Amino acid sequence: MDYTRLGFKAGLEIHQQLDTGKLFCGCPGYLRQDVGDVQVMRKLHAIAGETGEVDAAVRHEAGLEKSFVYEGYRDSTCLIELDEEPPHLISQEALDEALRVALLLNCEVYQHTQIMRKLVIDGSNTSGFQRTVLLARNGWVETSFGKVPIDTLCLEEDSARLVSEKSGKEVVYRLDRLGIPLVEIATAPTLVNPAQVRETALKLGEIVRACRVKRGIGTIRQDVNMSSTGHPRVEIKGFQDMGMLEGTIQMELIRQQHESDKQSQVRQALPDGTTKFLRPMPGKARMYPETDLPLLFISLEHINRIKKTLPRLQQDITQDLLKQGLSSELVGLVLDGFVPLYTALVKRHVVSPVLIAKMITLWTREVGTKAGKTFDELTSVCTEEVYDMILERVASGKLGEGQVKGVLSAFISGKSLEDALQVEQVDDNRLEQDLRAIVAEKPGLRANAYMGLVLAKLGSGVDKRKAMELLQKIVST
Amino acid sequence: MAEQIGKPGERVRLRLAQEEVEGTMLESHEPGIALLKLGSGYNIGIPREHILGGEVLATASVPVVQKRVSQTTGKPVIGMVITGGTIASVLDPKTGGVKWVASEEHFMQYYPELFEMVTVKAIRIPFKVASESMTSDHWMTIAQEVGALVNDPEIQGVVVTHGTDFLGYTAAALSFMLRDLGKPVVLTYSQRSIDRPSSDAHLNLQCAARLAIDTAAGVFVVGHATESDDYCQALLGTKVRKLHSSRRDAFQPVNTTVVAKVWPDKVVYAGSFTPRHTKPCVVDAVFSDKVALVKFYPGQTPDILDFYALKYRGIILEAAGLGHLPVSESSHSWLSTLKKSIRAGLVVGCVTQTVHGRVDPYVYSNGRELLDAGVLFLKDGLAETMLVKLGWILGHYGWKKDAGTKMLENVAGEFSDRLIGLNL
Repeated sequence: MDYTRLGFKAGLEIHQQLDTGKLFCGCPGYLRQDVGDVQVMRKLHAIAGETGEVDAAVRHEAGLEKSFVYEGYRDSTCLIELDEEPPHLISQEALDEALRVALLLNCEVYQHTQIMRKLVIDGSNTSGFQRTVLLARNGWVETSFGKVPIDTLCLEEDSARLVSEKSGKEVVYRLDRLGIPLVEIATAPTLVNPAQVRETALKLGEIVRACRVKRGIGTIRQDVNMSSTGHPRVEIKGFQDMGMLEGTIQMELIRQQHESDKQSQVRQALPDGTTKFLRPMPGKARMYPETDLPLLFISLEHINRIKKTLPRLQQDITQDLLKQGLSSELVGLVLDGFVPLYTALVKRHVVSPVLIAKMITLWTREVGTKAGKTFDELTSVCTEEVYDMILERVASGKLGEGQVKGVLSAFISGKSLEDALQVEQVDDNRLEQDLRAIVAEKPGLRANAYMGLVLAKLGSGVDKRKAMELLQKIVST
Repeated sequence: MAEQIGKPGERVRLRLAQEEVEGTMLESHEPGIALLKLGSGYNIGIPREHILGGEVLATASVPVVQKRVSQTTGKPVIGMVITGGTIASVLDPKTGGVKWVASEEHFMQYYPELFEMVTVKAIRIPFKVASESMTSDHWMTIAQEVGALVNDPEIQGVVVTHGTDFLGYTAAALSFMLRDLGKPVVLTYSQRSIDRPSSDAHLNLQCAARLAIDTAAGVFVVGHATESDDYCQALLGTKVRKLHSSRRDAFQPVNTTVVAKVWPDKVVYAGSFTPRHTKPCVVDAVFSDKVALVKFYPGQTPDILDFYALKYRGIILEAAGLGHLPVSESSHSWLSTLKKSIRAGLVVGCVTQTVHGRVDPYVYSNGRELLDAGVLFLKDGLAETMLVKLGWILGHYGWKKDAGTKMLENVAGEFSDRLIGLNL
């Protein structure tokens, strides 16, 4: 495809959830699997515009006849998410993290800015608006094809999660996501082919992940704004998979060329690489000040303090991890949010860094998946203290490296850590004798085949790695 | 620093040290900061000392002439009194400031549902003040306005919009000042401003209008019954209190139950009520503002009474529990000062600061001593309502010597004989 001939131009918008509490209240910022125990029903009303007239399109889109049901939790939802109390002052934690992202992207920070209300009347915000604040501008990100300008960086609240929609009349939302801080990064529309879009998205993702951000599906969202000769701007939302980015853009370009009614619109990216019409491009967002909050002032001292605490970027960390003996695959896993934990554990415990990396990434995830735990549940259970206790046992020789996964498994499936750590201490000589006995009973098998017999006889608490080592030794002699 | 460039609403281009910025000037509440709306819709602040110069690109656009909502005939007819408060204030998007709803037409544009439901024959806007700025003069003015509307045979009921903070006081004042009231007078409010799509004002107003055309006579407060936009509750004007600073269902009944549940299309009464009648309403709008409300706290000495006795004619004391204050056995007994003040003519009533429940002088000797001293035990009366009642009674020429007896009469449902275990 000749993108230059087609006049292709694109800009990226990245929305990344920060891993802090909520932006304007003291509630925790994590998603929940259980059904809420608080419910309120609300209606939204069109707001008369500047002329005093209610915009017909607003009235239509608002679904003003709809009832919105909001599910909340007594222990993690407060009156602010329910639109029953004015917002608290902006979370300093979230603000600091957003400023870190802004500075890593070489942006200029606005020192005086105002928190705004952006009207959103699909019910996804209990208030009928999303709070957002313009924090920084004029940054850039380095790529293989040069610097990509960053136009703006905003800090805003995430919306409530859609749970269900009954016959178009009643829409149910869950309040766990409402108010989680998001940084919104918008590049200039200077990207000229899909490969550049993809590389920029990856690069931006890498930079935000150096900061305290959430991981996992739905925690980062990319929108692509694209236009081509003869076709006005189209916004594509909802890329789930970075791998689809280029393909989707290509297919959208083809669609645009064949479209008879070329109009500016918002489209949804679908898993098969096509897109579907969502709505016409909205007019300029209706924004007005959040009158319940003072102007936001960010002092030079504040900015300088943040500059001193900027995280190291991925490429530097990668070099360190490779030097410590981690495979490139393992490095990738650690970089995905585990750097602070990994670094702390490596500093404290004299055990193999590879063991630490495997334990906190691969094994925890694998064991967690088997136990049906979500990512959030896992991170709340598998704390630094838990890993500390396990590693202390390993370092003092009370726990074999091969037994760590078993301990994790028992712990994650609900045992107390003390119980989980009570694995039988099989000393090597005793284990070897047992194994020899098993092999003698049924001679002639391969080492792998004996493993089942070993587990049946000695129990699953046995150090499997050690057992395999010994079995191989016995079988080969 | 250049002199100030651009007035709120004007499009400007400002010259700063390293760049030029274009946008619309907004009202700024911080003197040193110019507030500018950028093309993206975001507002930013610029310290005025950083503005080196600039120019006005366009003056503020002239407001569009507002259309009057068409009113068809055949609908029930109500009257309205607008007094200010959140329900009557809107954000001016041009300047970024909050303004009062300017006119009848303006009100209609914000609340079209109300005008689809009923014909509003008259909208009176005697003043627009936040309720914390009201005085008893305002209560008397509202009573006069409401009385005039109520006595219009065509008008079925009156809706009064009001700020929430001191709405309970106005409701009590109207309850006492509107004698022989044969129609519903319904006060309503909003806790969420009407410039947000989630405002509670819409449901509150519709339900207020519904009650205003229904069958019960009296002064009521109508507002959200729960945190949902589901239905409202009607509360008796003398027994209602704002019990939450921000929730939609802030107004709750005290020492009584709700009068009715109200939906935009129906009213379901919880018990008996005074039915409508056609006797003309007598507006008895008098008030003596030489009354005070004093909340007792541990260790408080009775000197405070000496202060009030000098200038005031009556006080309501928020006493503890069943109506207790430090008496003979205490190191700082109030007894002698109370006796002295009451003998000198100060009317002293007591209510409980627990909000819910009744005062009772007979349970402990403490209460009996206060009763003997001449303190009026005001049953289950709400402190605010009792203050308003005392001012209203003392406002009447010649009632002073009977003030004690009148304070204990049930004039407007302010006392309940039966307290039940709900609404706590």
